[in-house]
Parts: sequence; C-alpha cells; structure tokens
Amino acid sequence: MIPAQFDYVRANTIDEALALLAQNEDAKILAGGHSLLPAMKLRLAMPSLLVDIGRIKDLAYIREENGGIVIGAATTHYQIESSDLLKTICPLLPQCAGHIGDMQVRIKGTIGGSVAHADPAGDWPAAIVALNAEMIIASKSGERSVKADDFFVDLMTTALEAGEILREIRVNKSTGRTGQAYVKMHHPASGFAVVGVAADLSLTGDGKCERASIGITGVAAKAFRPDGVESALNGATLNDETIASAASHAADGIEINGDLFASADYRRHLAQVYTQRAISAALRSVPPA
Amino acid sequence: MVLTSHFMKIEGTHEIQAPREVVYHAITDPQILQRCIPGCQSLDKTDENTYVATMKAGVGSVKGTFKGNVRLEDMQAPTHYRMIVDGKGAPGFVKGTGIFNLEERNGGTTIAYEGEMKVGGVIAGVGQRMIEAAAKMLAHQFFKTLENEIPRSEAGPVNL
Repeated sequence: MIPAQFDYVRANTIDEALALLAQNEDAKILAGGHSLLPAMKLRLAMPSLLVDIGRIKDLAYIREENGGIVIGAATTHYQIESSDLLKTICPLLPQCAGHIGDMQVRIKGTIGGSVAHADPAGDWPAAIVALNAEMIIASKSGERSVKADDFFVDLMTTALEAGEILREIRVNKSTGRTGQAYVKMHHPASGFAVVGVAADLSLTGDGKCERASIGITGVAAKAFRPDGVESALNGATLNDETIASAASHAADGIEINGDLFASADYRRHLAQVYTQRAISAALRSVPPA
Repeated sequence: MVLTSHFMKIEGTHEIQAPREVVYHAITDPQILQRCIPGCQSLDKTDENTYVATMKAGVGSVKGTFKGNVRLEDMQAPTHYRMIVDGKGAPGFVKGTGIFNLEERNGGTTIAYEGEMKVGGVIAGVGQRMIEAAAKMLAHQFFKTLENEIPRSEAGPVNL
C-alpha cells in the first residue's frame, strides 16, 4: 500500500518545527522515517503533515559535555554504532545500536525518533533505562528534562506531550571498573527483540558488584528495570550461581507480552536466560584490575 | 497483502470505590460510556440498548478511525451484562463480546470482565505482537476514565 495523502515540510530549526506542530494537530515529526513511514504505508498512521527535522545539522551530534555524554536526537543508529568516542566511554550504546534492524535502517533511523516511537520491542529503550539517561524535551514554552524511568509510560506512549520534540539524550560516562553489554533474541523474520537485555555493571576494588543497572525490552508493554535482579546483584560476589539466581527475577511482577511467536511463559523464561547472559557478558567486559 | 484475523481473549478485574448500583448504572449509560471508551467521539442510540459509534482509537503513532455498532444484552442490574461490539476502520476490524460481572466488596465494587475478540485486517497481520498489550492498555484507560466519571454520576442518572 502507499500512504494516505499528506503534506510535507522541511524545518530548518527546532523552533520552526515546534511552530509547525503547534499549527497542525495532525502533524508528525519525521526524522529517519524508519518507524513512521512503514506505519504510514500500511495506513496504520495517517498524519496530514510531515515535519522533516532529519536534516537539521545541530540535532545530530555525539560529544562530551559537563562530565557526561550528550547525543542529539537526530543522531543515526549508525553514527552511534561507529563512534570511537562511545566505544571508549559508553560501549553499551554502540553495542545496542549494532543490533537494530539492518544496515539500511541504521543509516537512516535516529535514536530520538526510535525512542519517541517507543516500540515495545525496540532496542534503544533497554539501553536508555539501564543507563538512567536524561531526556531533554523541547517545546514552545522552553525545555524540560525527564529521567529515562519516567520517559516510557506505556505501550508506544512516552512522556512527550503533543507539540513537543525530543531534542537530546544525556548519559553518564562509564568510569572505574565497569562493564556493559546488550544481548538480544532477534525475531527470525522482523529482527525485533523478542527479548533484549542491557546490563551496566560497576565493580568494587575487591571484585564485588558495586552497582548493577539492567534494562529489559520486548517483554512488557514498555522497557523496564527489573528491581529484583538489581537488588540481588548489588553488593554480591558475581559468579555463575549468583548471576543465575539474580536473573531468575527478571520478569517478577511484570505483565508479560504474549504473541503468536512467543507465549508469555516462554518470554518469561527468555527474559531470565538473556538477563543472565547480559550480566555475564558485561562482567567479562570489565577491564582487568 | 496477506490479511489475517486473530482470536484473542482478554480478562481482568477492576476495583472501584463506589456502590455496585452506581457502577452498574455508569457502565450501561451511553453518555458515560461515550466518555470512557478510548477515542469514542460519538455513541448514538439506534434502537433499544443498541448504539452506533465512531472512535478515533490507537496507540502512540498508530491511530485509526473506526465506525461500529455496540449492543448491550442480558442486562441484569446490578450484577451482569454483555456488550457486543463490531467495528471497522482502515487499520482493520474488531468483533467482540465482553461479559461484565459486578460484585460488592468492602463497600466498593469489583468489576470482573472477560472478552473474546476477533481482530482482522492490517493490525492483525502486522501488529499481532502488540494486540494483547494494546487491548490491555485500552481496557485500563476505559476503567481509569470510568473511575473519574463515577463521582459525577453519583448525583443521579441524567435524563435528557
């Protein structure tokens, strides 16, 4: 199918884009288009106006700022995947990016667009919540910041209000003895995450787990941090047993998605297995003392 | 394009802090139902307990306009009724039956619902992996709005 009729305008600045959104209730922001356009071609989304922000130069960047890392919302998955800076100071991000879709999707798709679309099986949300990222949102009345945990509200629903645009994502640099990993079970046809788990660990001087931060996608209506897993890991000595035991809490208290490919029970099992793998992989990537 | 249809069951309970009679009246009153059904723009009576509805329903970026019929049957105030829904739109169609049972509990009411739905068209084929989650979210929205409507309806049924 082809999309229903729509108008198209290219915004030169964020302010222009915000003004256009305010004037048109039925307008949608277009960045890389790899979540929105497929939906439009199926007529599952029928915006009357597309406001293209994909070419705004100062929306795509990766840099260190104020002791942390800032990433422009229109940065492509490929730019993140291939960033030498990120491979050094936050390897979870390039790792996660490399699992998204395929090369064509990664060259066009943007982290901001993907995150705003909030597909329950998207890869970014797992990393975003695991890293406790800060989401910077622009609107006509200024800017506001929302923590990752509060950004993903429900199925395909974020904290973005009508007329707002996600502008930047901020994460901390990984310092000290840290290890990060993203592991995923790819759906054999779509490539989406049947389950995807991001792990960010830091170890104490004597090798115990100082802090564990886990993000799970594909399992529930939105990405989440499994409290039970994190509290079991914090302060613990990490070995196969303690990791397996901690990972068994991956889907505790969660309303688990079931579909034709994977029942809720199977997904619960997958969540536990992949959480275990993510923690082990993150541990292996901690630089030697 | 392959068009599929998909059967699904949905069930759950919801507690509302209000007497059962008040809750039963609210969920069988078309004016209140119109405000509670997510995206429902109009709910107009065509026959006894039969209504025609237009809904702008969706989740996130995926939205569509649906037109359909809603019929209330087997009405046993204040404990039980059945709702039959039949809607169609560009994203697909939904045909379903929902049974509502109301029980009194601790001065409030527990609504137990179970429904069977047949979902077809594009949303069933392409969106199958999200259908259950979407249905749960819409059901949750329905009950959340209902909770807000209840204090207003306690003033008594409105006859226009």
